Amino acid sequence: MEKKLSEMGYEEEGIVIKILGGLRYKIAGMGIRKGKGIKMMTKQPIKGPVVVTVDRSNTSIGLGLADKILVQVKK
Amino acid sequence: MWEIAVELTIDQRWDLVDRIAKETIEVGAYEPTLRDTLADVTVKPLTGIPFAIAVIYGFWMFFSGFAGFFTDGFFVKIFDVHFLPWIQSVFPGKGTWLYFIFVGDPSAETCFESFGVLTSGLFLPIGVVLPAIVAFYLVFAFLEDVGYLPRLAVLVDGVLHKIGLHGYAIIPTILSLGCNVPGVTACRPLESRKQRFMMITLLGVFIPCAAQIGMMEGLIPHLIGWVFLTLAIGYFAVGFILNKVWPGESPEILMDVPPYQKPTWRNIGRKMGTRTSHFLMEAVPFFLLGCLIVAVMYLTGAMDWLGNALAPALTGVFGVPEETVAPLVAGFLRKDLAIGLLGGIELTTWQMFTSVVLLCIYFPCLATFALMLKEEKWKEFLATMLVLVVTVFVFGGLLNLIGIGLGIA
Amino acid sequence: MGQANVGKSAFFNRLTGAKVAESNYPGTTVDFTKGHMLFQGEYVDLIDVPGTFSLQPKDKAEEVAVKMLGEEKEALVICIIDASKVERGLYLALEIIEKGYPVIIALNMWDMAKSVNVKVDTEKLEQILGVPVVPTVATRGEGFKELVSRMGQAAPVTIEEIIRSVGNSSRTHH
Repeated sequence: MEKKLSEMGYEEEGIVIKILGGLRYKIAGMGIRKGKGIKMMTKQPIKGPVVVTVDRSNTSIGLGLADKILVQVKK
Repeated sequence: MWEIAVELTIDQRWDLVDRIAKETIEVGAYEPTLRDTLADVTVKPLTGIPFAIAVIYGFWMFFSGFAGFFTDGFFVKIFDVHFLPWIQSVFPGKGTWLYFIFVGDPSAETCFESFGVLTSGLFLPIGVVLPAIVAFYLVFAFLEDVGYLPRLAVLVDGVLHKIGLHGYAIIPTILSLGCNVPGVTACRPLESRKQRFMMITLLGVFIPCAAQIGMMEGLIPHLIGWVFLTLAIGYFAVGFILNKVWPGESPEILMDVPPYQKPTWRNIGRKMGTRTSHFLMEAVPFFLLGCLIVAVMYLTGAMDWLGNALAPALTGVFGVPEETVAPLVAGFLRKDLAIGLLGGIELTTWQMFTSVVLLCIYFPCLATFALMLKEEKWKEFLATMLVLVVTVFVFGGLLNLIGIGLGIA
Repeated sequence: MGQANVGKSAFFNRLTGAKVAESNYPGTTVDFTKGHMLFQGEYVDLIDVPGTFSLQPKDKAEEVAVKMLGEEKEALVICIIDASKVERGLYLALEIIEKGYPVIIALNMWDMAKSVNVKVDTEKLEQILGVPVVPTVATRGEGFKELVSRMGQAAPVTIEEIIRSVGNSSRTHH
């Protein structure tokens, strides 16, 4: 199933399939790119950021930015 | 900037990285350790938020305990019981201007009240501020070294988002509680000009440094919570307004969250040592100079003249006596000195509270002021100054009104 | 150069000795710091820059790093990579190599990588990239002798060469 990174549930895993707009340039160096496995580590309340794990590194991403990352979620 | 023509696209480069990684990296199975569990627990909101509160509370307890132990238990005794009576008796020429400048009030019983270059001028930086600086950097360097701060940033992101900043802003804020100068430079990782301008303004206006906090601890330990609350309200209120009126973008957080590391004591010791020696070399001369200027202004009558001139604002708007003009003058050099000088003035509790809050916000220290000029564009700098002036009058006026309203002014 | 939180400042302090005027807080380096280090019998300038994830700066601190690289065209770049996060570190290293700089790679926090069971074949990595790769632990000073002694071997390589050698090595592998 395909969903936005911001919609992923806690501990859900998937593969990044698309990063919209200029964001892909910004997060390329942080290891997040098309084809990478991604795991949701935590979500914060009051529209706080998500923390995801990619290649053993954790990255915190604002919710609005997480909207721009599309993920194919593992069943 | 570069002449080399062959460059890969992001995807090509990552494909190459993945191919290299496949050949050279082997990721084995691995059982999560305590470190990983802790990393998890401290960033998840349900457990992370109570943990963060505990960390900040612990920070404060250590800070006030450490500073209190050395200031009250050690330096106050040395300075007030031994040093002050000694210098009051051996310094020649009681009643002359020289005596007034260097020793100050001959009847003073504490170094808070004497105002002399060799009494208050030495006691305040070494006896009161130094322990605070050491205590602050000991804890801060530790938190930084183990890698806790990015997690705190994640946890407070939602709240700071409401005023157009994001979680990273907590790092310059805490850093500014040590000293505003590194705090202002630490604003650079904020992505937009708007965020940097807002942050620098909020830091310069509302965040007192460890030296000031140490001085408050020494002078008004029972009021310090209220001072912090008032400043925090100002931080968020002004942040909220600036976010609405100042044009520009407010990008969201995008930050690496590193794993915890064992603290390296060498690192912590080095950071603490650097900050402490900076303070001793740079601050102590300013304290001495500040006391000298204040004493000379008293002797020449300039202070009384300035006090009279500013009396309508001081007593009329802010409800504090005109004697507070001396700390105001000293505050241009060192704000911790300014707060220390309040100790020698007779004030009601409410006046003391108002004065401390106003001294915190009325002017950033000289070093911060100079740095703002460097980090901000002219327009932004002028706006920061405007915010400062408006805040001083609004806050001072409101506090006075509240005091009158409650009948405790 | 290196990404955030790979221990650049500790690295810098090791290489330059203790007598550095530290204007930055490690962990929050936002400006460059200059120092000197002994290299092949003479003192050379060493510059510590803020962490940057790529050469496409996303904020003002990263901009300082990228700008410095652009200005110092003759520089030899020590690229510091977190040994347990080699992939994203290589991304930055490749970008710097593409610009034509001679690069030496330090796989820092080697002990940490070991403890999380990440193994890196440094010889093979070196073979593929054509630049020296040295495991280090900056906080304890491990690997620094080797790093300094091998800095002279850093020479510019082209991306084509790297692409070719990764192809070769995967062929011999099968």
